[in-house]
Amino acid sequence: MAYARDEVKAITDKVLNMCKADAVQVGFSGGERSATRFANSSITANLVEHDQEVQITVYYGKRTASATTHQFDDATLRRTIEGVQALAQRKPENPEVMPLVKPPQQYLEVEAALPSAVGFGPAERAQMVKVSTDICEKKGVLGAGYIPKFDWVNATANSEGLFTYFRYADASFILTCRTPDQTGSGWAGTTGAKDIRNIDAAMLTEVAADKALKSAKPRAIEPGNYTVILEPRPAARYLSLMLGSLNARSAEEGRSFMSGKARGETRLGEKIFGDNFTLRSEISNQVLRQSPVGQDGLPARDITWIEKGVVKNLYYDRYWAQRQKKDPTGTMPGMSLVMDGGTASIDEMIRSTRRGLLVSFFWYIRPVDTMTLLNTGMTRDGLFLIENGEIVGPVQNFRWNESPAVSFNNISMLGRPIPMHTGEAYDNPGTALVPPMKLEDFTMTSISPAV
Amino acid sequence: MQRRNFVKSLSAAGLALYASDLVGDLVAQSPRGQVLQSSFKGLSDIALGEAKRRGCSYADIRFTRNVNDSVAVRDRIVTDAFGFGAGGHEESAGFGVRVIHSGVWGFASSPIVNEAEIRKITAQAVDVARASAISKRFEVTLAPVPAYTDYWSVPVEVNPESVSLDEKIAFLMAINEVALKVPGIIRVQSQMAFDFEWKYLATSEGSYIEQEIWRTAPGFTVSALKDGKLKTRTFSVAPRSAGYEVVTGARLLENVERICAEAIEHCTAPPVGVGLKDIIMTPAHAMLTIHEIVAHPTELDRVVGYEANYAGTSFVKKDDIGKRMMGSKLFNVTADRTLEGGMCTVGYDDDGVKSQAWPLVREGRLVGLQTNRETAHYIGEKESRGCTFATSWRNYPFLRMPNVHVDPGPPGSPTPDEIIADTKDGVLIDGRGSYSIDQQRFNGQFGGDAFWEIQNGKKVRMVSDVTYNAITTDFWQNLDAITGKEHWEMFGTTGDAKGQPVQINHPSHGSPWCRIRRIMVGAAYS
Repeated sequence: MAYARDEVKAITDKVLNMCKADAVQVGFSGGERSATRFANSSITANLVEHDQEVQITVYYGKRTASATTHQFDDATLRRTIEGVQALAQRKPENPEVMPLVKPPQQYLEVEAALPSAVGFGPAERAQMVKVSTDICEKKGVLGAGYIPKFDWVNATANSEGLFTYFRYADASFILTCRTPDQTGSGWAGTTGAKDIRNIDAAMLTEVAADKALKSAKPRAIEPGNYTVILEPRPAARYLSLMLGSLNARSAEEGRSFMSGKARGETRLGEKIFGDNFTLRSEISNQVLRQSPVGQDGLPARDITWIEKGVVKNLYYDRYWAQRQKKDPTGTMPGMSLVMDGGTASIDEMIRSTRRGLLVSFFWYIRPVDTMTLLNTGMTRDGLFLIENGEIVGPVQNFRWNESPAVSFNNISMLGRPIPMHTGEAYDNPGTALVPPMKLEDFTMTSISPAV
Repeated sequence: MQRRNFVKSLSAAGLALYASDLVGDLVAQSPRGQVLQSSFKGLSDIALGEAKRRGCSYADIRFTRNVNDSVAVRDRIVTDAFGFGAGGHEESAGFGVRVIHSGVWGFASSPIVNEAEIRKITAQAVDVARASAISKRFEVTLAPVPAYTDYWSVPVEVNPESVSLDEKIAFLMAINEVALKVPGIIRVQSQMAFDFEWKYLATSEGSYIEQEIWRTAPGFTVSALKDGKLKTRTFSVAPRSAGYEVVTGARLLENVERICAEAIEHCTAPPVGVGLKDIIMTPAHAMLTIHEIVAHPTELDRVVGYEANYAGTSFVKKDDIGKRMMGSKLFNVTADRTLEGGMCTVGYDDDGVKSQAWPLVREGRLVGLQTNRETAHYIGEKESRGCTFATSWRNYPFLRMPNVHVDPGPPGSPTPDEIIADTKDGVLIDGRGSYSIDQQRFNGQFGGDAFWEIQNGKKVRMVSDVTYNAITTDFWQNLDAITGKEHWEMFGTTGDAKGQPVQINHPSHGSPWCRIRRIMVGAAYS
């Protein structure tokens, strides 16, 4: 159930025409979200969700309110609009309300709904499960996995005449293999694939199954500071921990790691990470193929957040930019995110490590202190000890307490970036290009014996 | 008028206020409490008939209408708040059809409620199940359940929709005004969030069940900046299945100055240091510890591996029932979908199983698990405990935790003051902080919102940088003091995430004050 541009425009036009407020913004989202789950090497859920919604925001001067409905018949829209208009008129003025973004705006062309992803249906997903679980059976492990698929449209229209439309289709394949005795577990996956031919379920299953078998019966070693080699999935999760600090407002209000010494100051321009840490949003990236539309319909543009360790840009939303007399940043942190990598393979990272850990996955990361970016989390689904350039065996998982503010000064090697989701779950956009990374002095606090 | 009738009439009035879409119209036009006369009976039968015609061994259709509303005042600016939804006024209605065909599940859902769409979506659910059959290695087995025809609703004293927006804003603004007058407070947000859920479930086994649930969650958070240190403090209010009376009964305004003072004191409070200490948990803090290391590991779908790819498995094994010690003799845990006010309290789950309360832990020993129709057979039980739930019409139902409580101590149990007086070297912890737990729910590192040093039976001063490390069974084994029922309180969370795609559940967790002896504190900051 893909919504074509004209179809969406007709819906948003209808809403705009029905509204009597001074100004109106309509956000549309809708399409198909499907998913297949399997566990114990058998399919457990296969589903197709259809959804559609409009979020209607109305303005009377600086008074505003918004309402969301999933029904688009005239009667429902009329009553929703009447309700939200009445609500806005009863609210006090909000000084942070901004005027609507005016057309014309120029957006980068991003083709993000390729035929292979659009046509990826429940039968194809079930076949992928079969390929995977057949390999699991041969290898003697149990497979548990998730194959989410989106064919989705986001659009924005406003009473100034602005209209944006972005359709994307993508899928992921995420797998955990476990040994029958429950002492070994391994993870592999690929996320946010716009071209389904880039998902190699057989190869990923081989990787996850081998990790599970090799990680069985881990031994305990002492907590402490270790050299760690983060594969792309834990690297992506770890990278995500600093994105919130790129917000200029919280930095200037003294509430962030990026806050300067005095209130109102930030660390913009300071070199606070290592020379080899560069982080950009690359809207035109042909692998990611993500939305070119930023806040309220502003065009998103390529931007460098951190360059060779120096903070080059912070994110100014429209209100804060106006207040601080800056240009708003159309690109929000996390959009089409690319971390520059290097040329090292994971094997080369291992060979160059005297004593360290190869990390397959990070789990349940939560902030401990937002001002220092101190976070805690655990390793999971395959942790291996490296000694003198070789993997010597599996070890029990660790809880860690560490800050990317420290670690990104301690990157000793980087590999080639690959697409990997930065979020804890995989249900929303959030795939970035992230390299595997070798970090020195990473603090493992206690043993976490769970498998 | 009897209370039950009063509540029912109030529910009907409330629904009329909320009804702004066509599904709401259909609900409003259907006679309340007469489930078989509802417009949704006929619509349901279309799906059930279609599924039967297509050879399904089981089918159900679940219509829901969810209305989330919230309002917040942040630094005197009226804005939307997160709570049960994403903010603002959200209405969402539609239906999901779930079938078993060829021994596997199929599910499809749509927001468009009409006969043609119901037929189409039912056919799609069947097609999905049939396509899935090539990847099944075992068949879905459902525990039997009686057929019910019933209506159930949460008792509500004051419908949140009946309170004017002006009154809500004035209430929240007053909290802002008091907080922003306190030197050192740089930010305050007060908010209230409301969730209304109507649902109608029909199953191929003959059940027709209609339910209405209201949930309310108010609160406020302040940020203090002193000597270059920033700390936040949140006033913990127990969110409940109830109406606006949760807001007016929460003593929010009365606690603003205290909460601000504590936030400021926290900025310059000395670090607790690293070492073994006794911790005393208020019910507002114990809530999330119970959620993470008692409620999650006793979910049977996790125990048998259904969540291995995301939420994880469990340190509990299915043959641990009756054998494994989970804590000390004081440790009694009850799963409960019946206690008034609990956010997971319902008449029936989304399998159509009547709600109940049952023991999980008695005198420290594991005696039960959370089950649903699909999983009960794994532990040889003949009936489901009724733990199936979906966030909305759009989502497929699966096993979600009920309210899970630590029971209060018997008469004669100590008071909070007596527990403090009996503690030589400890930390009192209130509210929610950083929570992180492994995928089998065994190694947790938890923080809180505010902390006080206890020395020689006295609450001495606030301290900072407090986290504690809990190995689940050791942690509860060290439980050596709890208060009685007069100090038992039920807090909860509106954000329990699980499943793929991720769905949100809203469990309540009641607890007495608890003391845990000799726990490692402060290691995260070392």
